[in-house]
Parts: sequence; C-alpha cells; structure tokens
Amino acid sequence: MEPQDVYYSKAEYVETASGNKVSRHTVLCGSQNIVLHGKVIVQSDAIIRGDLANVRTGRYCIISKNAIIRPPFKKFSRGVAFFPLTMGDHVFVGERAVINAAIVGSYIYIGKNAVIGRRCVLKDCCYIEDGAVVPPETVIPSFTRFAGNPAKCVEDLPECTLDLMLEFTKNYYQHFLPLSA
Amino acid sequence: MSYLNQPDYVCYVCNCGSLKPISKIYFCRHCSKIRCGYCVCQEVDSHYCPNCMENLPSSEVRLKKNKCSNCFKCPCCFQTLSTRAGHVPLRVVPADGEDSKDVKTTPKKVYYLSCSLCRWTSRDAGIPDQSMATGGWPEQENPHTSRINTLIDYHKILASIEKQQSERKKFRPKHPYMQIIYLFSFQAMFRITSAMVRKHIGHPAKPTNESTDQPSPAVASTEVEELPTDIFTEPVEITKITTLEQRLQQPDVQTENVNELRPQHRQLLVRRSQRCRVCEHNLCKPDFCSQSAKFKIQLAAFYHVPEVRIVTCEPLRPGKSSELLLKFCNPTQHQTQVVLLPLDTPMTPILTLVDEKEEVKQDNAQQGSESPNLLPSIVRQVPVVEETKSIKITANADVVLPQNCLILPRRDDAAEYDDTGDTHNFQDDPKFVIWRKGNKAVIKLHVIPHENLEENNNQPVVIGFVMQYRYVNTITTLEHKAPQKLDLKVKLYLTIGNIVGSA
Amino acid sequence: MSSFVNRRTNVKIAVGALVCEESILKGDITIGPNTIIHPKASIIAEAGPIIIGEGNIIEEMATIANRLPVDAPEPTTIPVQIIGSYNVFETDCTCEAFKVGDCNILESKAYVGREVELTSGCIIGASCSLTESDTIPEDTIIYGNECQRREMHGKPYPPISQIEFLLKILPTYHHIRKPNIVPTKNEGGL
Repeated sequence: MEPQDVYYSKAEYVETASGNKVSRHTVLCGSQNIVLHGKVIVQSDAIIRGDLANVRTGRYCIISKNAIIRPPFKKFSRGVAFFPLTMGDHVFVGERAVINAAIVGSYIYIGKNAVIGRRCVLKDCCYIEDGAVVPPETVIPSFTRFAGNPAKCVEDLPECTLDLMLEFTKNYYQHFLPLSA
Repeated sequence: MSYLNQPDYVCYVCNCGSLKPISKIYFCRHCSKIRCGYCVCQEVDSHYCPNCMENLPSSEVRLKKNKCSNCFKCPCCFQTLSTRAGHVPLRVVPADGEDSKDVKTTPKKVYYLSCSLCRWTSRDAGIPDQSMATGGWPEQENPHTSRINTLIDYHKILASIEKQQSERKKFRPKHPYMQIIYLFSFQAMFRITSAMVRKHIGHPAKPTNESTDQPSPAVASTEVEELPTDIFTEPVEITKITTLEQRLQQPDVQTENVNELRPQHRQLLVRRSQRCRVCEHNLCKPDFCSQSAKFKIQLAAFYHVPEVRIVTCEPLRPGKSSELLLKFCNPTQHQTQVVLLPLDTPMTPILTLVDEKEEVKQDNAQQGSESPNLLPSIVRQVPVVEETKSIKITANADVVLPQNCLILPRRDDAAEYDDTGDTHNFQDDPKFVIWRKGNKAVIKLHVIPHENLEENNNQPVVIGFVMQYRYVNTITTLEHKAPQKLDLKVKLYLTIGNIVGSA
Repeated sequence: MSSFVNRRTNVKIAVGALVCEESILKGDITIGPNTIIHPKASIIAEAGPIIIGEGNIIEEMATIANRLPVDAPEPTTIPVQIIGSYNVFETDCTCEAFKVGDCNILESKAYVGREVELTSGCIIGASCSLTESDTIPEDTIIYGNECQRREMHGKPYPPISQIEFLLKILPTYHHIRKPNIVPTKNEGGL
C-alpha cells in the first residue's frame, strides 16, 4: 500500500538548510555534538543525548515520537567513557524506541518500543520488530529480522531490502508535509 | 517497505503457480521468466559467524562442525557471551633473603566470560579465569568420546573391507592368468593394494596392524538406577535445576545442575546464493565480505518487473463499481509500455523486433537444445524443476480494463535533483492516468465485486489481471547482437479490501 | 472516590545531587547526595512523599511514581515511597514500588508495580514487568519476556564511576536545580 501524507503544523517544526525537519518539542541535549546529515526528520518528544557523546546520523533518517537516542557507555579500568553513536543513512526509528547501540548501520528499520542494548552493533539492512529487546553487545547481521525478548533471528530478509528501505524513507520524507494553515 | 511489515496485497504469479509479492521473486534474464523461491536452487555461498562476522572457508567449516571458535553462547539464555576483565592482584613470591615488605603486588588482568542478559559468568560454572583475552578457554570433554571413537574406527574398517570386496567384483578379466598381469599393471589406477595382489596370487597375507576386534557391544539392561530417597524429603530448588532447553543445547553432557552448564560455541550462519533451475545461471550472489550488504549479481524482480502498488480504493459494494487507484513504477533503465489484459490471456512472450519472423525461428530452434552456458555434466546436478501448482486464489471481482497502454519512462536517478519538471509530454487520457512523476504513474480503474459476495464473509475482494510490459533484454548473446525487446506477461492478483455494505 | 491531595511541589535537594532543570518533579520529594536525575525524568509524588537515597541514577523518561491505584481505599497513613542508594533506573522504566533497596538496576522499559518490594542487588531486565505482590529476594536477576529468574553470585557494581563522570559533564550542558538542603552544622565545639 502506498503511504499516506502525514501533516505537521508548520509552527512546530524547524526546517534547516540541509532539509532536516526537527520538532521544537524535542530534547536535543548538547546539540553542538549532534550531526544530522540531511533530510532527517526528528518528531516531537524525541530525545537525543548529544551531551554524553557525539551523535551522528546519516541522510533520510526518521526518528519518531518519544524515541531515545543515547550513546552507550563503557567501563574502563580508569573510569567510564561514553562512546559516540553513529547511525547510517535511511534508518527508521519507531516510536518510544530506546537506542543504546554503538553502531547503527544503514537501511535499518527499528520498530516501536524496541530496546537496543548497550554497545550493540546493527549491520546494514536489518529489521528489528516492534517490542524486540536486543541484549547488550549483540551483533545483528545483515538481512535478518529480529523479534522477541531477548531478540532472536526469526526470518531472513529479501535481497532487495536495501532499495525497499531507501524508497520507504524517501517516500516518508516526501510525504511529511507542513499543514498549510 | 510494506513488503516487510504488511500483508501481501499485490501478488505476482510465478511460473510454478505460487503467489509471491514482488520483493520475494527473482527475474531470470536468460529465460526472461519470473522465478520464485521454489524455482531456484538455494546454494550456500559462505559461512560466517554472526557475532565476530568472520568468514570461514567451507573446508574449515566442516572441521569445526559449523561452530565459531572464538564466540561463545551463554548456556543459560543462549545469547552471546562477552569477555570481561577483572583484576586479581598477583603477589610476587619474595626470593630468599628479601624482605617481604619490598615485594610489589602487580595487579594482573584476568578475563572471564559474562552474559549481558542474564549475567551468567564463567565463574559460576567454575571455569578458571584466563590470562589471555581471546582463546584459551577449556573445551568441554565429551564423556562418551572414547566409546564413540572405537565405534567409528570399527565401522571405518568394515567400510574399507566392503569397498575392497566391491572393487574386486567389478574387475573380472576373462582369462585367469591375465588377472595377475592386470593386477600389477593397473595397480595405480584401481588403487589395489599390495595385500590384495598377494592374496590373489595365493601368498599368505601380511600381518596387518589393524585390529579387527569388534568393540564390546552395548548391553541393554532392564535395571534402572534407583531414585535416591531424599527426593521425597528435600524441597526442590528450581533455580538450581536446568531447563530442558538448556539441557538440550549440550547434547553431550545434558547436565541437571545449573552450575555444571558450560558455554557452547556459536553456530555459523550461511549466506545463500540463488541459481535458476532451468538455465543454471546465478540469480543472486552476495558479496564475499559478510559485513557488506551489496551483491555481485542481483536479479531480483524488483529491479526488472514493473511494480504495482495499491494507492486507494473506494469502499466496495457487491455489484457496484468502485474506483481503484494503482501506482505503477518502472525500475529499469528503458522506457516500457504497460498494457493490462484480462486473466485468461495466454502467457507467451512476444518479440517486437522488426525482423520478427527470423528471431522467432531462431528461438524455436533454441528451445529444444540446451543452453550453451550450462556447466559440464560432471559438476552439474540434475535440476529438480518445481512442478506447476494450480493457482489457489480466485478473483471475485471484475476489473474494467482500459484499452490504452501506459507508457512509463525509464528510471532516472538524477531527476530527483532536477527541479525543472518532467520533460516528457505524454498524451494521457486524464480519466485514466491521474498522476505522473518520473518513472511512476497512478492510473484509475473501476472494480465491480461479484454480486454473490456477502459482507459478513470477511473474504477479501481479489482482482486479477495480466500485465504485459515491454522488457529490454540487455544480454547480447551470439545469436542476438542487438538488445531484444520482449513483451512479457505476468499475472497479478490484488487484494483490495473487504466488502462494505450490501448491494 | 479517593481524595488525592495535590501537594505543592516541595523538592529538597541535598548537596552533591545533580537534578537537571528539565526533569519533571511533582510533590514532596527528598533527594539524597550524589544522585543524578537526567532531563525528562519524572518523579511524581501524588499519594505521598518520595525519599530517594544517595548515589542513584535516574535516566530520561524514567518514572518514579508514588500513586495509589484508582480503586484503592483511602489509606490511614500517608504512604511514603523510599528508594535506597546506588540504584540505577534506566530510560523509560517505571517504578511504583513502595520500597526499593540498594544497588538495584531497573533496565529500559521495566515496570515494577506497587505491590512489589525490591530488596537489594536485584536486576530487572529490559521490558520485564512485575505486577503481582511479591518480594524479590536479594541478588535476583529477572530477564526475558517470561520474566525468568536467576540468582547471581555477588552484587552488581554500584555505578560510582558513572556518577563521577556525569557529575562532571552534565552541568556543562544543562541547567541544574540548586541544592537547597543546608547540611546541619556540628553543634558542639564551635
């Protein structure tokens, strides 16, 4: 089915020069450390903790409402350090998802209410179902679909997943339109 | 995207009769046909560990029994174990004569395995901490190894004896006195051992070192160990007993106590490549590196066959016409013409070159012979072609098919950045083509569900039609120098919704 | 209908605690030293006061609520929710438990109901929810969607190094509420 248009109120969202559409109701801590590469949508009440460490997203990422993007920490012998979180292009993060991963690849779909544990590594083209809990330090290989608590691989994804995610995020961005007041 | 998390609304019919959405089918360019997962040969491309993403060659895989040597699985919750560092102060033993006050305690790093989900550690199992970060973890001994090995050895001996006997039977020369000459001269070819030759001549056999003693046979006894009496008096501690799943993960040992669980090695995953069963060409081959999501060869139908998507559909009433909007997308690099035909059109491809008759004759001749690209017969397995199944879905609504064809321009990635607008001037019937952008177009169709459909049935309304699209085959073979233009047909079934209201 | 007393927000913050301005604090709350409350954390003391010990970490979207269920009868005494020391409440968890001990960890999206009592050293895994009346024994780990339990050898490490790190960097990025409990001076000998 073709996705329908989603409207937002123009007053609520700030559109930057590179095409990022960021809601004013988000909590972007340490915004100087957050790099949104372009055409990224950050919906209301999302939380991105740039104060703990650098956060980088690629292009065409979609961060839904109430999602939490938080860099993971690692305990060293001399203390604790927060690691930067890098996200690839064309990533969709569902509502209320908690992302503590170290590396999030490209073309990934993360369902709503998902929990990605600390220092996880998500490779390109994977799919995390709604409500899945990925335990800390797991590596999720490409073209797999993970579901459950703790998340296990349930299915393999078709080979054209890359283009499907690409089209989905691009379509979502194009259909995310300001409500003409 | 909807192909990943929504039910299949638009299904394409493969040659074998199975219904698949476009994301799950492949398109063989040599046969110009659609192949689904059943019509292709799934082959193992490479093995890799899902945790450390290490690629293993297939010879090593067999040795290591499909398990990664570095990565472990928690015996408690089956997640990957990670190595943690702990500190143990190491006391250096003072040499004779030195005061113990001068001795420095250097903290030494020790490593232990720990699960991040259930917090099981290797210290729980009593495995001593290692001084090296990777490797060095003791392997679990199988208590039945010696018995299994003697059985395997005994059967290997039996197998070699049987093989010698069958080889001797195969080779029976006519004259008895020639046997010896044959034996000696063809010794290398037939791998006849000197022991066999000696036996044939009549000499006494050389004493062999192999013991052909039978291992002690397994004894079936009716006596069963008695239950200990304290099973009735002591309360059972549930947390100390392993679950069935935990036990069966270690089939060698199958411990009952939680503190005897040992970590198992992680199993390897497989990257598959697909091969058409009819023409033996590769349809899909992933990149060698397990970390990349790219493909060396990718002939998914998503890239060759026009994609049909349902945009909207008016509420359906039996007997009444409703509007249906469909979006067509042309993924190829060539312009294509789409014509919608009724379901009962015969499914033969039509060539559209000027010298049509010549090409058709050549094609007919080729159909009988094998494709020249087939692998030599020694390597090739006999292809098991999927037998055609009957299509299990029936259309329960009629579609008013338009007469005119839809022209879809080629896919142009640069057009995304070009704001000057479409330069194509298609004379579109405005009642037919609602919207156009780049290589996509939305058309309007009318659907009339059958009269006999009821609202309460919860049966979805299904329409079907045959889509004929022009496909340009860019493979140039010896026979066809120019790229071929084929009009290929594919049957589609669309589930457009439920009946709302009655007639 | 239970009369729920709407208390004016009365937050007592000890010296050394770090409470971000963007956190949501409602009701009568006492926060011990070295506790860190991240932005968007909510502490809601509806039905009674909440006393939080020292060294806790309450991350964003975590909810610590002292609220009575809708159909409960009015209590004779005001219920006080007591949270011990060195607990970690990770993102989006919900704790309505009446009594929480020390060194517990509630992972993301965990839910602990009112009737549950957490002792010390417990780890409630991600997305696990405990709703029935129960006392969780010490050093228990609850994980998985069926809330399986395990005993752990030894307590989880208190997050002291994380607290130190956060105490250093959070003030540079956030507005912090000033502590308002003055430590009592030594009476004799001055």
